[in-house]
Amino acid sequence: MASLRNQSLIKCEHLTFRHEDEQKPVFKSIDFTLYPGEAILLLGPSGCGKSTLAFCLNKLYPEAVDGELEGTVSYKGKMLEEFRPGEINKHIGIVFQDPESQFCMTTVEDELAFGLENMKTPPEEIGCKIDEALKLVHLLPFKHALIHTLSGGQKQKLALACVLSLKPEILILDEPTANLDPASSHELTRIIKRIKDERALSLLIIEHKLDDWIDLTDRCLVLNREGEILFNGSHADCFNTYAEELQAEGIWLPNTVKAGLLTKKAGIFTGKELPLNHEEMIAGLISPDSALQFLDNKKNTPTCLEKQTILSAKDLSFNIGPKELLKSISFTVKKGEFVAISGSNGSGKTTLSRLLAGLFSPSSGEILYHDRPLSSWKEHELRNKLGYVFQNPEHQLIADTVTDEIAFSLKIQHMPDNEIQKIVQTTLKQVNLLHHGDMHPFSLSQGQKRRLSVASMLVNEQELLLLDEPTFGQDAKTARELMALMEEKIQSGSSVVMITHDMEILHSYADKVIVLSDGEKIYEGTPAELWKEQEIMKLASLKVPYIEKLKDELRAMSRREKLAFT
Amino acid sequence: MLLHDINPSIKALTVIVCVLILSVFFDPVTPMLTLAVTAAATFIFGKVSFKRWILLFSPFIFMALIYIWSALIFSRTHEGETILWSWGILILTEESLQRALSLGLRVLSFTSLSLLFILTTKPSEFLLSLMQQCRLPPKLAYGIMAGYRFLPLMKEEFEIIRSAHRIRGVPKARSLPEKIAELKRYAVPLLAGAIRKAERTAMAMESKGFTGDKNRNYYHKIAVSPKDWLFFAFFIAMVLASAYISWFFGFLQLYNGEL
Amino acid sequence: MLEKWKLREVIVLSVLAVVFAVVYLVFLQFGNVLYGVFGLIGYDLIFGIWFIVSIIAAYIIRKPGAALLSETIAAAIEVMIGNAVGPRLILSGMIQGIGAEAVFAAARWNNYRTWVLIAAGMGSSVTSFIWGYFISGYAALSPSYVTAMFFVRLISGALLAGLLGKWLSESLAKTGALSSFPIGKEQRRRKSENGFTA
Ligand SMILES: Nc1ncnc2c1ncn2[C@@H]1O[C@H](COP(=O)(O)OP(=O)(O)OP(=O)(O)O)[C@@H](O)[C@H]1O
Ligand SMILES: Nc1ncnc2c1ncn2[C@@H]1O[C@H](COP(=O)(O)OP(=O)(O)OP(=O)(O)O)[C@@H](O)[C@H]1O
Ligand SMILES: [Mg+2]
Ligand SMILES: [Mg+2]
Repeated sequence: MASLRNQSLIKCEHLTFRHEDEQKPVFKSIDFTLYPGEAILLLGPSGCGKSTLAFCLNKLYPEAVDGELEGTVSYKGKMLEEFRPGEINKHIGIVFQDPESQFCMTTVEDELAFGLENMKTPPEEIGCKIDEALKLVHLLPFKHALIHTLSGGQKQKLALACVLSLKPEILILDEPTANLDPASSHELTRIIKRIKDERALSLLIIEHKLDDWIDLTDRCLVLNREGEILFNGSHADCFNTYAEELQAEGIWLPNTVKAGLLTKKAGIFTGKELPLNHEEMIAGLISPDSALQFLDNKKNTPTCLEKQTILSAKDLSFNIGPKELLKSISFTVKKGEFVAISGSNGSGKTTLSRLLAGLFSPSSGEILYHDRPLSSWKEHELRNKLGYVFQNPEHQLIADTVTDEIAFSLKIQHMPDNEIQKIVQTTLKQVNLLHHGDMHPFSLSQGQKRRLSVASMLVNEQELLLLDEPTFGQDAKTARELMALMEEKIQSGSSVVMITHDMEILHSYADKVIVLSDGEKIYEGTPAELWKEQEIMKLASLKVPYIEKLKDELRAMSRREKLAFT
Repeated sequence: MLLHDINPSIKALTVIVCVLILSVFFDPVTPMLTLAVTAAATFIFGKVSFKRWILLFSPFIFMALIYIWSALIFSRTHEGETILWSWGILILTEESLQRALSLGLRVLSFTSLSLLFILTTKPSEFLLSLMQQCRLPPKLAYGIMAGYRFLPLMKEEFEIIRSAHRIRGVPKARSLPEKIAELKRYAVPLLAGAIRKAERTAMAMESKGFTGDKNRNYYHKIAVSPKDWLFFAFFIAMVLASAYISWFFGFLQLYNGEL
Repeated sequence: MLEKWKLREVIVLSVLAVVFAVVYLVFLQFGNVLYGVFGLIGYDLIFGIWFIVSIIAAYIIRKPGAALLSETIAAAIEVMIGNAVGPRLILSGMIQGIGAEAVFAAARWNNYRTWVLIAAGMGSSVTSFIWGYFISGYAALSPSYVTAMFFVRLISGALLAGLLGKWLSESLAKTGALSSFPIGKEQRRRKSENGFTA
C-alpha cells in the first residue's frame, strides 16, 4: 500500500476559512493529505466546520459564499484555483449534509441522468446506469417518483445513488446516514465498502455515529470546537489515547469503545487497548458473568403509573390520491409519558406526526387531544398546548436572527421584553448557541439548525411535544443535553412523542415504542420487549442497541460456560 | 400521432409563423377559420380536455368582448359607412362591427394557437429541444429549468411557511388589513426561500460536474423528423387557406394598426 | 455574455423571472378589470408592475444584461404557463427590458441608487409605450388621451417598478437570502455603520 501512497490525491496546506462578516475563522490552518485508495473519517463537534471544510475541498466554497480562504488545496498536485467551476467536481463527488438541497431536477430519473450527462456518458448507457444505481440503494420502484414526495431517508439514499453513478475518484460523504433507519444505514456502509474495494475509491467521511464506519476507514481526522486539528492518525491511537478528550469535546465514541471505557473504569475490562470491534470487546472482559452483572445494574426502570390519557388516535388513515400512506392506526399518549415512534424510511412516521400536530387532517379516523377532537380546537389554544418540531429544521425557522427565532412565540404571547430576554439567553445557552444569537438561522450548521428548531419549541410550556428526529446530526454532548431538556419536560408533567432512528435513545428514554411499517402499526410496547421481537425488528429495519446485543451474547456465553462445567 | 410528440421547437416555430401571418390580415373570417381548425386539432390530436382548454381560453373571450365593446364605442366612424343602429352619440356601422369582430377573433385565434402549444408541450422538453435544436446555452436552459421547477414547489413552500407560522401560534388573519399583513409575511419569505433554493441548486449542479459546456450528451434526445415539418406545413397551409377563403368571399384586408 | 456569469447568478435570475411571471399573470387579470373600469388607461395605471423583475434582478445581480434577460425570460415563462397573448409577448418583454437595461447601461452598471432604479422603471415605460404605440395602434386615439396615457405609465413605471422593486429587493436582503450578492454586502455595511453610530 505504501507504494500507492507516494502521490497525494488531495493535499491541504494551512487551510483557514473565515466568513466575511465573522471575526473568527471557521477552521484554522488545517493540514492533511488524502492518498489514493485511502478512507478518512472526519470527526468533530457540531458546528466545528466539517461541512465547510468539505465544501472547500471541491471548490464549491468560497465560490458560493462570501468568505476568505487562506492556504492551498491541491488535487493531484494541481491547485484548485486552476479548475473551472464544475470541473473538479467530476473527480470529487460529494453528498451534502442536507438531503433537501442537493437535487436539481424534478424526478428521480432525471436527477440521475443529469449527472451522467455532465460526465459525457454515452446516452445509450445512461438508462442502465440509472437502474444500476437505483438498485444499489433499493430505490428502483421510485424511479419515476417526484423527488419532493420522497421521505427524508429516501432522499438521502437518492443523493448517494446520484454520486455513486458518477464514479468519482474521491467521495466525500457529509453525514450520509443521519436520516436513515439503522438497517439502511448499516447497509449503506456495506455498499460503500464494497464499492471502495471494487474501485479503489478514496473516501472522506464526516459522521457523528461511527460504529459502522470504523472497519472501512483507515484513519481519523479530528477537529476540536475551535476548528483546529486535534488528532490525525489511526483509529486505535485515536480512541486509546484520546478517548476521554474526545468525550470532553463532545464527540461520539464508537459503542464498543464506550462500553470498553465504562467497563474498564469498573475494572471488568482488562484488554490492553480499548476495543474497536465486538470481538475485542468480548475478549477483553474478565468474565461474562461479572460483566453481565455490571451492565444489568445500569438498567433504568421506566416509571409507569396509572395516568391520564392526553392524546388518543383512533383508526387514523391518510391517503394522497390512490396512495395509502397510513392505515388505521390507533394508540394513546398518557400524561408524562415518553412515546417513541420508529420504523423504516418511508414508513409514514412524519406523515403520522403531521396528523397528530393537526397540520394534515386524516382521511378517516379521529384524534382526541384532552378528550376533544383535534379539529374542534381553536388554533391558538391548540398551539399553546401542543408543540411540533419538523423533521427538516429549516421548515421550522421563520425569523431573521437566532435570537428572534426563540423569542418569536413569546412575543406573540405578549410577554414583557426583559422576561423574553432572560428566557432567550437561558435557552440559547442550553442548546449551545450563545455565540450565534445574531446570526441568520439559515447560515447555522446543520446540527445547530436542528438545535435551534427544537429550542424554539422548548420555550413554550406545551403539554405535548411532538418531535420529528430531533437528535439527528448532533454530537454526543449536544444530544445528551437535548435529551436532558426532554427529560425536564417529562418531569414537569408534559408528554413527549418523538420520532427517532436512534436505538440507544429509544432504549434509555422511551416508556413506549410504536413501530410503523408501510403505514401500519406493527408494534406498541416497551423497548425491552421490542428487542425480543426479531420479526418486527427486521420488518421495521431496526437494530438492537449495542449494550443489549452485548448482554445477549454474554448471557449466551455464560450459559455455555455453565454447560461446559456440568 | 399526437401533438405531444411533435418537436417542441418546431411547434413553437409553427405557432410563431402562424401568428405572424395572421397579424398581416385584418378580417373576421381568417381568424375564425384558423380558430376553428386549431381548436379542433387541439382536441383531436392533442387529447386536451375541454375543461382545461376553456379555463385558459375564457379570460380571452372576456378580453375579446372588451375589444369588441371598445371598438364599438371609441372607433371613429368614417363617412359613407352603412349605419346599422344608432342611439344618441353611439353609432354602430356595418364596417365598425366588422372591425370589432376582426379584432376580437384575432385575439382568440392567437390564443388558440398558443394554447395548442402550451397544453401539448412539457416545458422541460421544450427547453431540452431549445438546447438541442436551437443551441440555447445549457447554463441558461438549466437555469430556467431550475427556476421552472420551483413553480409547483411554490405551493408546497407556501404550505410549509404557513405550517411553521401555525405551529408558532400566529393567529389566523381575519380582517382585510390582517390579510394584507399576512400576505407580506408570506410573500417575502417565499421569495427569499426561492432564492436560497436557487443558490443551493447552483451548488448542487456544480457538485454534479455541471460546467455549462455546450457539448453535452442528452439522455432524452429530442429529435426532428419529417412528421414535424409536415405539421409545420399543414398549419401554415391551413392559415393561408383561411386567408384565401376570406379573400374569395371578399372580406380580406391588410392590417394597418386599427384598434 | 453568459460566460461571465456565475451559475448561481443565472439560476437566481431565472427563479426571479419564473416567480414574477406568475405575478405578471395575476396582474394581467387585475389589469383587465381596471381596463373594464377606466378604459385603456386602466392598464397604464399598473403597467409598471410588468417591469419590476428587471429592476429587482438588476439591483440584486448588478451585471450587464440582468434587466433585459430577466424580463425576457419572465415573458417567455408567462407565455408557457398560460398567457395566451402568445409569442408576441416575448417581444414585448424584451422591449421593456431594453428600456431598463439602457438606463443601467448609461449608469455604467455600477450605480444602483434609488434615482437610477426609478429612471430604469421609467425607461421601460418609454420603450414599452413606443412599442405599444405602433403595435396596438394608439395612433387611432386622440392625442391628448395618448399623452395622458404616457404620463400615467411613466409614473407607474417609476413607482411600481422602480420604488416597489427597490423596496422588495431590500426586504429580501434583510432576510439574509442575498448575503452573497452585492446588495447583501451593501446592507451589511450599512448595518455595521449604523451599529457604530448607535
Ligand atoms: N454564512 C455563514 N456566516 C457565518 N457563519 C457561518 C455561515 N455558515 C456557517 N457558519 C458557521 O460556521 C460554523 C461551521 O459550520 P459547519 O456547517 O461547517 O459545521 P459542521 O461541523 O458541519 O457542523 P454539524 O455537525 O452541525 O453539521 C458554524 O458555527 C456555523 O454557524
Ligand atoms: N405528497 C406525497 N405524495 C406522494 N407520496 C408521498 C407524499 N409525501 C410522502 N409520500 C410517501 O409517503 C411515504 C411516507 O413518508 P414519510 O415522510 O411519512 O416517511 P417517514 O417514515 O417519515 O420516513 P423517514 O424516516 O425517511 O423520514 C413515503 O414513501 C413517501 O414517498
Ligand atoms: Mg455539517
Ligand atoms: Mg420522516
